[in-house]
Order: sequence, then structure tokens, then C-alpha cells
Amino acid sequence: MKFKAINKKTVRLLAVLVPLLLLFFYVALRSGPLASVPVTVVAVEKRAITPVLSGIGTIEARYTFRIGSVAAGRLKRLSVDVGDMVKAGQVVGEIDPVDLEEHLGAQRSAIKRAEAGVLSAEAQLRDAKAKQLFTASQEKRYGLLLQAHAVSTELVDAKHQEAEAASAAASGAQAGVNAARQGLVSVKAEYQGMVKQRHNLLLVAPTDGLVTSRDAEPGNTVLAGQTVIEMIDPKTLWVAVRFDQLQSAGLKAALPAEVRLRSQSGRSFAASVLRVEPLADRVTEEILAKVVFTVQPVPLPPVGELCEVSVQLSSLQAVPVVPNACVHRVDGQLGIWVVDGSALRFAPVRIGATDQAGNIQVLAGLQPGERVVAYSKSTLHAGSRITIIRNNGKGSLL
Amino acid sequence: MSGNGIVIEGLQKRYGSGDTLVDALKGVDMQVAPAEVVGLVGPSGSGKSTLLKCLGAVIEPSAGRMRLGEEMIYDGGWKIRDLRALRRDKIGFVFQAPYLIPFLDVLDNVALLPMLAGERNGVARKRAMELLEALDVGHRAKAMPAQLSGGEQQRVAIARALVNHPPVILADEPTAPLDSQRALAVIAILNDMARQYETAIIIVTHDEKIIPTFKRIYHIRDGRTHEEAGEGKSPHELIKTDKA
Amino acid sequence: MISLAGRDILHGWVRFLMTGFGLGLLIGVTLSMAGIYRGMVDDANVLIDNSGADLWVVQQGTLGPYAEPSSLYEDTYCSIIGMAGVARAANVTYLTMQVRHGGGDVRAMVVGVVPGGPGEPGQPGFLVAGRHLTGGHYEVVADVKAGCALGDTVIIRRNRFRVVGLTRRMVSSGGDPMLFIPLKDAQEAQFLKDNDMLLQQRRRTAQNPGFNRPNVPGLLDAIIASQTTSLYVNAVLVQLKPGYAPEAVAKDIQRWQRLQVYTRSQMRTILVDKLIATSAKQIGMFLVILSIVSAAIVAFIIYTMTMAKIREIAVLKLIGTRNRVIASMILQQAIGLGAIGFVVGKIAATLWSPFFPRYVLLEPGDAIRGFIIVMVISVLASILAITAALKVDPAEAIGG
Repeated sequence: MKFKAINKKTVRLLAVLVPLLLLFFYVALRSGPLASVPVTVVAVEKRAITPVLSGIGTIEARYTFRIGSVAAGRLKRLSVDVGDMVKAGQVVGEIDPVDLEEHLGAQRSAIKRAEAGVLSAEAQLRDAKAKQLFTASQEKRYGLLLQAHAVSTELVDAKHQEAEAASAAASGAQAGVNAARQGLVSVKAEYQGMVKQRHNLLLVAPTDGLVTSRDAEPGNTVLAGQTVIEMIDPKTLWVAVRFDQLQSAGLKAALPAEVRLRSQSGRSFAASVLRVEPLADRVTEEILAKVVFTVQPVPLPPVGELCEVSVQLSSLQAVPVVPNACVHRVDGQLGIWVVDGSALRFAPVRIGATDQAGNIQVLAGLQPGERVVAYSKSTLHAGSRITIIRNNGKGSLL
Repeated sequence: MSGNGIVIEGLQKRYGSGDTLVDALKGVDMQVAPAEVVGLVGPSGSGKSTLLKCLGAVIEPSAGRMRLGEEMIYDGGWKIRDLRALRRDKIGFVFQAPYLIPFLDVLDNVALLPMLAGERNGVARKRAMELLEALDVGHRAKAMPAQLSGGEQQRVAIARALVNHPPVILADEPTAPLDSQRALAVIAILNDMARQYETAIIIVTHDEKIIPTFKRIYHIRDGRTHEEAGEGKSPHELIKTDKA
Repeated sequence: MISLAGRDILHGWVRFLMTGFGLGLLIGVTLSMAGIYRGMVDDANVLIDNSGADLWVVQQGTLGPYAEPSSLYEDTYCSIIGMAGVARAANVTYLTMQVRHGGGDVRAMVVGVVPGGPGEPGQPGFLVAGRHLTGGHYEVVADVKAGCALGDTVIIRRNRFRVVGLTRRMVSSGGDPMLFIPLKDAQEAQFLKDNDMLLQQRRRTAQNPGFNRPNVPGLLDAIIASQTTSLYVNAVLVQLKPGYAPEAVAKDIQRWQRLQVYTRSQMRTILVDKLIATSAKQIGMFLVILSIVSAAIVAFIIYTMTMAKIREIAVLKLIGTRNRVIASMILQQAIGLGAIGFVVGKIAATLWSPFFPRYVLLEPGDAIRGFIIVMVISVLASILAITAALKVDPAEAIGG
């Protein structure tokens, strides 16, 4: 008992101190620079990846029709509103003609007057022609009489002069008729012009479509050329997409694409690249492209809605592939941490294309089957001690 | 080993100076032979403690001479440089309370002194054990002091005082906390030990129970000692009569 | 000779351990405080290192993208990339803002990076899950401290971003987690106004007769469009070709592009000496006070421990124990107490450091320094006790 008294105390003290010291060394080794870095590893696989380009676009109409007046005027009526469907040729509005109707009335009167003028000129012509005929026969008769010396020469001359005058009068009357007729044509043409002008004040839909904007209201004065109604053909919606120039290699027409509308983030719509614009945006450093829906979405997305577009590029050749989280830059050199047994080696690599899921091609520097570090809990160095841990479900090291 | 025991001649101790000057010891003459047990009695303030401290080489006397065995330790000044070693090797102390070291067990409390003197642990413990056995507390050697009774503690204290076989043991009221049975037993032990180890023992006391055991008693009064003969009864006898 | 100190400790081992634990917790707080300071400095260094840049090009006369706002034209990098010695240059934006996530919001530093691929300047250095940005819009790589999981959605300004990758230790100098998003989205987030503001601005512009001219159709639209362009970035991160001195290239860019350029060491100075200087001093002050308090408490504990044994010490002295033995007993106990305290403190500091909102860096160097300081303090504290113990009169043991 007596011996145990000391021993018991010593044992108890050690029972506290030894675990404390063990904990201390554990703690000292597990934290700080001495600690080993937990990492996860993946094997390099050789496979083909399909790079995906993603860009941002807005829904746009392929053709936008702006209907406006050709002449300045006040808008008299507007029969359609935004969202209305219109048919080709439908009158959607009218510019107030102001005094055009009165001008037309006056013109109609002028036509009638001109027609009357023609009639009266024709009457005069007939009269002149009758006179000419009579005087000509008179002259002929008197000429025969003169041969018979039945009349005097003076009388014959007088009759000749009469006939000449009547002929001239007939020619004059003919000219008067012609002038009257020309006047009628001119007045009629003027009238036709006015009618056309009157028609021009009507705003007519050029095609079947959807009214997207109503930029003026009845009573507004509009300028020649100003848009009153904007309409689109909803059957020709497309997406104007911008792709970052950095990754747009391989983008070309007819590639399949997927469109995600901002309003319907859960759904995606099949589409395809219609064309890549020959002009890129030099300010935003983006390449522009047009993507068309394979099937028009119903309901139609509003024009101007933002959407995400991802374009599947054609599959690349099978080469070693790793997740892009593996690739690091150490001292200006791109490379991958390769696990050799428990040692760590930095293998410089040349990298290629990336796909949407973050897989990156390794064109040189790695062999398929090599084990490389995917995730690490802190920055790795050549001498880092590592502990390989297994990925948990979420792929997180935490 | 013990030579001439302890001899004190004209020892004086004076505290302070000027107005506060106190002459605690004015001239003490004592002589204790080896194996002799003497009593030192006197009222409070008579200078008992001061004398004991001077003897214990804890305070320095002002004048006089002290001789321990063959060795002159004080002659108007300390003649020995290492007073600690002197206390350790030449003087044993037994106090009113045992003053054992609470964190050492009984054996080590006793063995500590030879260890301090440079003895190996094993040898020191063996010596201590022998003494404890002799004092009848050997069975408590591994107990802690707090686990002992008062009498046992005092016996351990005696063992500690004896362990280095000092020529002199100074005992300061060693029986104060004890009843007469135990007090006498302690005195008996001291007497036995004095004989056995030829140790000169000075027991400071005013315990009426034990005074009859002394053959010689020094009375101290006003800083001076007066020797007188005691009754010199055997403590063992007294224990018996006391019991009866 | 037996160990008096050891025996004494053993005698009252529970009390001794308790005292050691208590002292240890105090030392743990002190170590944590040092760790917090180190963590702040380390956060700044990590911020610098993880940006992967050798040079920071910022607006002229500003203190860089972290300490002061700076804005550059987006195409500035084109002219920088052409300078001698520049290997790579990338635009970057930094904006500290509230980011909505899972019902609540998180304060975060949104970093707009060019999603050029791994190893490009500005990209997070390593991931703990997921993948890097692959170039798409509306993707985010988040620091785990933001509390996101892969696949979560965070809302930055008007846009929803999907968490595709997680990283660690990517925090701003203020300790806010970083969220890496594609540059274009970040520019939008930084320079775009909110919807109400946009509407009000449009209305204001429309009401201005100078802009809304009936005979110039389209002018208003053009003006409104020009008001919403966002062609600025906060900084251009530059990586150098091997063999070029950062200072020389920095000087060139400064001279020819008329922009402010900082090298790594200058940026470190800005972050450590300017940005976190006050908080660092604050913590430093606290650390000093804590150290003094700890030292005082160690001293008091040891002094009290010794004073409790004063009687025994007197006896020991009386029976001829040398001062050396007594002093070494006190010293050993002080050192033992200090050692237990340090061990407990180090463990405690390490165990509770992950629960701090900011990174706590417990450097082994600091631990060693801390250990030495604890030992020195213990020794100094025991000197006080030893002096008191040696002053004890052995005569006290003799009653009287």
C-alpha cells in the first residue's frame, strides 16, 4: 500500500502527461508547415473530349420591320397595339391627310372643267371643219364658174381667201382640242398622284407579324421616316450570341447548340449555329454568332431576353485527359503534380483544349495511367508531405 | 566521534543597537557530555530560543565561545565556514512540531539528510530504515507524514535528527503536543539514543512531566544560565508509574 | 539524491496539473493572438501569391487594387502584353460586396478573372473540389469559407452563378472569402447599376431635351446604351518571362504606359504595412499585454507556490539543505509548470484555431519562440520566488 501510494500518483500523473505530450506532438505535426497536405489523386485517362463553347446571347428577331410615314404629318389613328398579330397588307394606322381631301375635290373639279374644255374645243373644231368644208366647196364651185367666166376673178379670189381662212380656223380648232385633251390628262395625272399620296398616309403591314413597339400615338406629329410601329416576324427569331475570342476555336456554322433562357433556367432548347459573323467585336473581344432554334419555343421568348448558349464543338482526338484542377503554374511553368509512390514530382506539361466539365487535354508530359494530384488542401511544393485521402461524395476535401 | 560533547563559555547575544539594544544572552555557560541528556528550562523571554538558535548555528552570537566535540565553532566569530554543513552533519534538530517535509514519505524524510550530505540514495535509505526500525516506526516508512499520528511523527523527527549521527541534538519542546505517556516515551527514546549514539542532547522544555527525568538542568533567567541537579528519574520508570 | 521538486509535484499533482492547465489556457490565448497576427500577414501573402502575378498594373497614382480603388481601360492589357519581359497579362477586377447565397448573404470579395485556363494570373492556385472556370459565364469558384457547396447557386447583383469549384485560403485582406467569376460577369457586377437606378437614369436621360430630340430618332437609345458600357477593370496582373527583373519591367510599363506598377515586394509592403497595419498593431498591443499578464500570472503562481512551502523551506534550510538545492527545486517546478502550460497552450491554440472566423497561423517558429519566452518567464518568475525562499530564516523553524 505504501509503495503503491507513490506509484499510483506517478501513474496518474503520467496518465495525464503522456496523452498530453502525444496530443502535443500530434498537434505539432498535424498543423503548420510540418503537417502533411491532404490531397486527392486521379489517374490520367486517355479519351476524347468534346469541348463546349458557351456564350451569352439575346433573343433577337431576324427581321424587324419599322413602319413609318414617308411624309411629315399628324398621326390620325393607330389601330394596332403591341402584341397584336397583323396580316400582310393590313392597314394599321393613318397619318392625318389634313387638306388633302379638299385638294382632291378641287382636282376632281379641275378634271371636269378640263373635260368640258375638251368638249367645247371639239365643238369649235367641228364648227371650223364645217366652215372649211363649205368654203372649200364654194371655192371649187367659183373656180369652175370662173372657167366658164361666169364670175369675176375678184370673187373667185375672195372665195379662195375664205377657204384658206376656214382651213386655218380648223387647224386652230384642232390644236385647241389637243391642248384641252393634254390639260385633261395632266389634271387627271395630278389627281392620281394625290390619290396615291392619300394612300401613302395609310400605315400598312408589309408582312404577317407581331407588333413589338408602338412609338407614336394618334395626334402626335411624326416626321418623314420616323418609326410609328415596329413589328417582327416571330417565325424568324434567333439568338445573337457572343463568344469569348479566347475559346472560340472551332466555332462554325451548323454545330449543335443548347439555349437556356434566363426566364426558364431549368429548360434548354435545342438549336444550331446558323452562322458565325465575319466581324468580331473588337471592343469586347468577342466573336458574334447567330443561333437558331430547331423548334420555336412556345410561348415565344421575349425579344431581348438574355440566354446562355453552349455549343458542342466536334469531338477531339483521344489524348491523356485530366481535370483542369490538376494543372498548376510553378515558377512560370505549367505542370501537374504526379504522385510517385508517396513522393511528389512536378511534371511540366503542354495542355490543349478544355471541355465544359473542366477536363483538359495534356498534349505532352504525362502518360495515361499516371496518378496525379487533383485537389490539395493547400499549395503544394516539391518537398510537401502528402496524405492521399479518398474523395468523399461531393469531391470535397473538407 | 562525539569527543567532548558541547561546551559553551560566556556566550552573549545582543540584538539591535542604541535605544533598542537588547541583551538576550548575557553570559551562558553550558557543558553537555556525549550521551548525556540535559534539560534547559526557563520562562518565556528568558533567552531559551536565542540560545537554541545560537547553538543551532542559525544566528550568530555576539561574544563567547562554543565548542562542538573537538572543534571550536565559535570564538568571538564563526570558526567554520559552512554552517549549513555543520547543521547537517553535527547538529540534529527536534522541534515542538515535527516539521516533516510533507511531500516526502517517512523514509525519505529521514534519508534526506544523508542524501544532502552526499550519501547514495540506497545507503541513505538503508540507514534511515535502520533508525526507523529502531524507533519502532519502520512499518510506516512509505507513509506520508500527514498519515502518521503525532507521536509517530515526533519519532520520525527524532530519527531525522539522529540519522547523520550528530554529536549534538537540540530538541525544542519536543513533547509539547504530546500527552504525558507519549511525552515520556519520546524522552525515553532520546535517552536511549543518546546512549546508543553517544550524542549530547539538549532538551528545551517547560513540560513538568519530563523535567524529573533530567540528571542535570540548566535554568536560564535573564540571559544567564544556572546549573542544578535534576532528579534523574528513568523515563521508563515514570511511564510505569504514570500508567499506574 | 532524490528530486525534491518531483516529489513535491507528485505530492500535489492534481493541483499542479490544474495550475498548469489554467496557465496553458492563458498561454494558448497568447499563442492564438500571435497566430491571428501571423494569419493576417499570411492572408496578405497568400493573396499576393495566389494571384500568380509578378507585377500589378493599376491606375496611375493609386495604391493598387486591394488598398485603393483603381480602374483601367479593359484593353490596357493589350499594350502591356506587348512590352519586353511580359509573359502573360490578364485583366482582373476586385469588388467586395454582399453575395446572396442560400437565403442569406455572405460578405465576399468577387474577383473577376479571365477564364483563360489553369495557371493564368488571377486564377485560384489550387482547388479542394470541383473545377476551374471553363470559360462559360455564370460560373463561380468559391472559397469554402463562403459556405457554398458544389452546385449551389449564388446571386451576385442580378445574375445567378453556379458553384463549379471550391478553393481554400483565398481571402481578401479583410478576411472575406473570395469568389472567382468570369471577368465579363464581374465587370457587369462591378460597373452595372441596379435595375431601379438604370430605370431612373434612363428616365432622366429621356427627359433631357438635349438627348431626346424628335428629329434625331435613335439618339436617345444610343446615349442610353453608351451609359451602360462597362469597359473597365481594376488591375492588370502581369507574369514575367524568366530572366527579367520585375523592377526593370515595372519601370518600363510605368514610363511608357503611364500607369502605376507594383512588384511583389511593393505589394506586400502595401498590404502588410498599410492595409493591415492598424489591426496588426492592435493585435500586437494586445499580444504584448497578454504576454505581460501571462508572465505576471506565472510569476504569481510560482511565488505563491513557494510561499505555501515557506515552512518546509525553513526546515530544509535548518537541516542543512543547500540554497542550490532549494533554488533548483523552485526552478524545476517553475519550468515544469511552464512546460505543461506551454504544451497545453499549444494544444489548445491548435484545437480552437479552426473555429476562428479568420485564418490563425501557428508557426512552429512562433511556437519555439513562445516556448523560449515561457521558459524565460518561468525562470525569471522563479527568481522572485527563489529570492524570497533564500531570505527565509532557518531560525523560523525553531519556534520562539
